[in-house]
Amino acid sequence: MRLIPFIVIVLFLLILPSFAGLALVSLATKILIYGLLVMSLDLLVGYTGLWAFGHAAFFGIGAYTTAILMVRFDVTSYWITAPASLLLVLFAASLFGLIALRVSKVYFLLITLAMGQLVYGIARTSLGKLGAITGGSDGIGGVPYPDFGFYFSPNSYYYFTLAVVILCVFVMYRIVHSPLGYSLQGSRESEIRLRALGYNTWLYRYLAFLIAALFAGVAGLLYIYFNGYISPDAIGVEATGFLWLMIIIGGSGTLWGAFIGSTVVLALQYFASTVIPERWPLIFGGCFVIAVIIFREGIFPKLRSFWSKVINYGVVKG
Amino acid sequence: MDLVLLNLLNGISYGIVLFLIAAGLSVILGVMGIVNLAHGAIFIIGGFIGLTVAHQTGSFLLGILAGAAGSGVIGVLIERGILRLLYKRDLQQVLVTFGFVYIFTNLMLWIWGPFPKSAFVPSYFSGSIPMAGFSLPVHRFAVIGIGIVICLILWWVQDKTKIGAIIRAGMDDAEMVSGLGINLTPINAVCFLFGSFVAGAGAVIGVQLFGSVTFNDGMDMLLVAIAVVVVGGVGKVQGALVGALIIGIIDTFGRVYFPQIAEFTMYMLLILILIVRPSGLLGRSL
Repeated sequence: MRLIPFIVIVLFLLILPSFAGLALVSLATKILIYGLLVMSLDLLVGYTGLWAFGHAAFFGIGAYTTAILMVRFDVTSYWITAPASLLLVLFAASLFGLIALRVSKVYFLLITLAMGQLVYGIARTSLGKLGAITGGSDGIGGVPYPDFGFYFSPNSYYYFTLAVVILCVFVMYRIVHSPLGYSLQGSRESEIRLRALGYNTWLYRYLAFLIAALFAGVAGLLYIYFNGYISPDAIGVEATGFLWLMIIIGGSGTLWGAFIGSTVVLALQYFASTVIPERWPLIFGGCFVIAVIIFREGIFPKLRSFWSKVINYGVVKG
Repeated sequence: MDLVLLNLLNGISYGIVLFLIAAGLSVILGVMGIVNLAHGAIFIIGGFIGLTVAHQTGSFLLGILAGAAGSGVIGVLIERGILRLLYKRDLQQVLVTFGFVYIFTNLMLWIWGPFPKSAFVPSYFSGSIPMAGFSLPVHRFAVIGIGIVICLILWWVQDKTKIGAIIRAGMDDAEMVSGLGINLTPINAVCFLFGSFVAGAGAVIGVQLFGSVTFNDGMDMLLVAIAVVVVGGVGKVQGALVGALIIGIIDTFGRVYFPQIAEFTMYMLLILILIVRPSGLLGRSL
């Protein structure tokens, strides 16, 4: 009974391309990718209690590495670019985690913000060789769909994204409901108690940081093939704030809330940018302030308690 | 040798401006345990208001006061109007200030248009002082002088006045201070007022070094201020001053001697400090 809404949603997503136009399918692809990215951030924010504010950087490292390898160095094989990109993401995360996990709470937020802006700065710089490789503030474009021996269309790439995202959600769900996931939540609630019980909380947090970065890298890979183009604007602090808004609206510590948040925010951006593009930052900031004040727990927990009421009502009546 | 001295003076004047930005950020972080991510945007607004007034009236002093007042009022409005609603919820308070960055940036674009605002250099600061082998514009010395005066005032307030004592005590043990019958709620507003006030004044003074200021520079300014607070340590005027001077001088020398990686010298310093001494050079323990 509890799974009925999810089955309905997955079925809806499966038949979506048969009746929706190209614009809607591409919006749905973007929602799925951002949902995955937000979910990876939520592993840190909601489950571990680490206020990471540079998460879009890992998304960016994944997307940029693939784009640079394919466009600048003509490495076309997916089986080389994808592992290389994810390895670089893991490498960066292992360094950033070592530095940022020396502090916690607001200070962690500040340090991750600075780390994220460092990656943003490297991507944006137009100096010397680096600028020629990354394309500076113009970004890097012209990335084709991955070559699996057949040609992707927007519709088939949508199905590919859906499959990857469902797989990632499944893995993430298993991680959250594993001993690792429970000790992360325990260290969020009371670090001292967990340490007294003999858990190495630092190591668990470091692992969570690496896992979150890895999934953000996967989202970055999906995004670069979908969009064909990446620029520094997609990986800076504004992009991270975008993810935070999705977490706040969807509900933190829920995994599924990530997809509700990305749907609401991306749909809002889609309509706002067609009607009044020049006031989008104002709307974004306003939504941010209002969402933080109003949404104490987010939309998803409310939906979940509503649905459990519906089920219980049926049980009581039957 | 001359070049070293020249860059040292440039670095110190840049560091003084950084101090004026970071002092408010550091005090708010120390007292309330939150970081005001809109601090950089408030700095830029102060600059725009102050420079508009200065260009209209022709008075530098009036410009400084207008910029400081504008920033101060906005800071207090954020604290009294919004942050008070989220009492004791640190993460939400920080996130709200992030939303204001984009509100302010877009409003500035709306009001003043996309053009950079040029600096106002009063006639008595124009010209330059010849020194051994080079000459330095007078306004750089003026920036250093004004900044040192403001720094001394803040230092005096922190160490010698009653309100400074309450602020220091509040950073150490807020519960105990409340238990002694001192109401800490107005102190938060006072910190926001002074922090933003100094940042607004610093913007009008500091833009002389940069030549002009653009509406969306707020995030970059915030980032440098964060680096200053991390390097210098949280919650002390001395810490902010030391951090600001170190970052200002190293950044200036980096731009001269290693222009390829100059953008990133600040981060290297930040990472080094975090590895060696996470609480900053002069900070309170975290």
